Amino acid sequence: MMPPAGYLTISVALFCIGLYGLVQRRSLIAMLIALELMLAAASLNVVALTTLAAGAADGGGARQIGAGHASSVGQVVALILIGVAAAEAAIALSLFVAIQRYASTINVEDLSELKG
Amino acid sequence: MTGPTLAALLAQAAPLAAGVIVLLGLRGRGRAAAGVAIAGLAVSVAASVWLVAAVAIPDRSLLAQTVFLPVDASHALAFGVLLDPLSTVMALVVATITLAVMVYSTGYMRGDPGFARYYGFLALFGWAMQGLVLSANLLQTLVFWELVGLASFLLIGFWFDRPAPAAAARKAFLMTRVGDVGFLLGVLLLIRALGLATIPDVIAAAGAGGGLSPRLVTVTAALLLMGVIGKSAQGPLFTWLPDAMEGPTPVSALLHSATMVAAGVYLVARLHPLFLAAPAVMHALLYLALATALATATMAMVASDIKRVLAYSTISQLGYMLMALAAGSRAAGFFHLTTHAGFKALLFLSAGIFIHHAHSNEMREINERGALAQRAGVIGLVAGSAALAGIIPFSGYFSKEAILGALGVAAGGWVVALAYLGAGLTAYYTFRMVFLTLVPDARTHGRTDAPTHGAADAPTLGGNGGERAMNWTVQVLAALTLVLGYLGPWLGARLSPGEAEHGPFAIGLGAATALALVAAGIGLAWYEFGRRGAARIGFAERIPALARFFGDNWYLDRLYRATVIRWASALSRAARWNDQRIVDGATDGLANGAVGGGRLLALVQNGYVQAYLAVVVTLIAVLAAVLSRIGGVR
Repeated sequence: MMPPAGYLTISVALFCIGLYGLVQRRSLIAMLIALELMLAAASLNVVALTTLAAGAADGGGARQIGAGHASSVGQVVALILIGVAAAEAAIALSLFVAIQRYASTINVEDLSELKG
Repeated sequence: MTGPTLAALLAQAAPLAAGVIVLLGLRGRGRAAAGVAIAGLAVSVAASVWLVAAVAIPDRSLLAQTVFLPVDASHALAFGVLLDPLSTVMALVVATITLAVMVYSTGYMRGDPGFARYYGFLALFGWAMQGLVLSANLLQTLVFWELVGLASFLLIGFWFDRPAPAAAARKAFLMTRVGDVGFLLGVLLLIRALGLATIPDVIAAAGAGGGLSPRLVTVTAALLLMGVIGKSAQGPLFTWLPDAMEGPTPVSALLHSATMVAAGVYLVARLHPLFLAAPAVMHALLYLALATALATATMAMVASDIKRVLAYSTISQLGYMLMALAAGSRAAGFFHLTTHAGFKALLFLSAGIFIHHAHSNEMREINERGALAQRAGVIGLVAGSAALAGIIPFSGYFSKEAILGALGVAAGGWVVALAYLGAGLTAYYTFRMVFLTLVPDARTHGRTDAPTHGAADAPTLGGNGGERAMNWTVQVLAALTLVLGYLGPWLGARLSPGEAEHGPFAIGLGAATALALVAAGIGLAWYEFGRRGAARIGFAERIPALARFFGDNWYLDRLYRATVIRWASALSRAARWNDQRIVDGATDGLANGAVGGGRLLALVQNGYVQAYLAVVVTLIAVLAAVLSRIGGVR
């Protein structure tokens, strides 16, 4: 069983990779993929921290995932987050289609009409 | 309400209604406009006749007023009508002359594009003047006083598309306004001291044992006199009147000789006891009026424009009226106002006939274009001039005699002597005008159809048509000059009961002297202008410097341009600089600063969503670092 710090480290790594991709990539779709990575990092964080909190509440007795009541709450939240991510991807992709039709591009550097 | 009150209201309401109807509804229909205006003034004349019959002939005095504006708990300004012989006779004079001018104008103004507008303005003037004459309250007087000034502005500038009348209208308005500031201050001072401005109460308060201190009376009288000087074109503020002759000739007859400029004289007569209670002011007025009368007489001696001659003579005669009032004789001053209204309107309207036909104001040009062919004009000009010069038995003789008599009783020797000299000068310049206009010049005679040059008075006129109305009016007024002179004793008994009687034919030493001086003046005029082979150049015109001095309003206009106007212009230039640089500069700077700052900040909004994201992430990271350093949000 990995200690929670390992989960958190992976989560931070995922978040940073996602952020880097979000800022660096110029294609909207690539940015969406990077954003999904960041969401996954957040979900992993939630699951890891609820497990840690459940372990602390049981006085260190219940270390196994799924053994405590609190850790199952984290897993439910993670599932909801995956659903939210799916919905978000659907909305974002349909927006990208609309943008593609309007501007004939999904390169964000070309989509800079709203400047001061 | 009693009958006279209703009549007084009717005398004001009829011209107002006519004016409003004409100006709002009949702008494009000249004949209907003239008809409505003349009907309105006819009603006003009828009401005034009734007023004279009901009030002046039995010598009654009525005050009808209604509270309008409370000043404080115990005082209030009441507006209404004050009816006594003075106001009712003045109302009749005003209404009659206005009606006469309106009838005359149907001929004179025929074909003018602004015909209906002209009648609307005339009717409004009739209303304002009746309101001024009949008002019971000084504040009410002031309101109508300003309305009269407005009507004067509109009528002088009637041909506003030409620069000269527009400038003259502006000058008249501004110059009279200088005096009106004094009038306003005087009225406000009275209201502050008494809590009211009803004329009989003011007079009572100014008298011995009244509520006003002698010093306050003096200050008030001096302030009110400023308004009089402006309106009646006296003292230093008279130069607007000769310029006002740019208006149509009937307007000059009505406003700028017979009625409006007499408003100042009327005001002094109206408040005569108040002015008498300030002897210092009356003294100053006597000398001022004397100086004005003599100075403008010299200006009339060199003017070549017939209307300017008449304008200067008007100022001079107004000076005589004010001299009589200043010397303490209300009857003599008002008597001269009445006769002057008649014969000066006659003179202007006769001059209008000549101008109508000759298309020029210049006396020599009128002469060249056959002035003698206008019979009615000749009759009117001669009768009016005889009255103005003071030839027995024309009306001017009696009233001027009354003035000189009053001066002889009340004023010092040299004042009287100068006044007599002025009478001689009046005869000289009047008959200079008559001879220059009417007697054919032997040297230019036979030269017909002289080329048109000089300032034509009314270029829009055809020169023909409408003679009947003009001639008829002039003949009626000419007949009046023979009648009005006998009003003197009747007026005297009502206006200054205690005064010595000046019988119409009481020819004493004074009257004989005056007549001799008048004869000398006429003789000199005949020698220089009238006789066969005369040089037709006056003695004053032979000296170029003097002619320039007299012809240029004694350089007063130049003085004003060099001093007051220059200072005022400098002040307004400074104000403009302040407005444009300081006030506008501050707001402009603020606006420009805001715009510039906005532009600068807008550079941040470059439109690249990833740049925004980078900023957001960086800021959150910084915030997180700071918060973790200080230990979280407290």
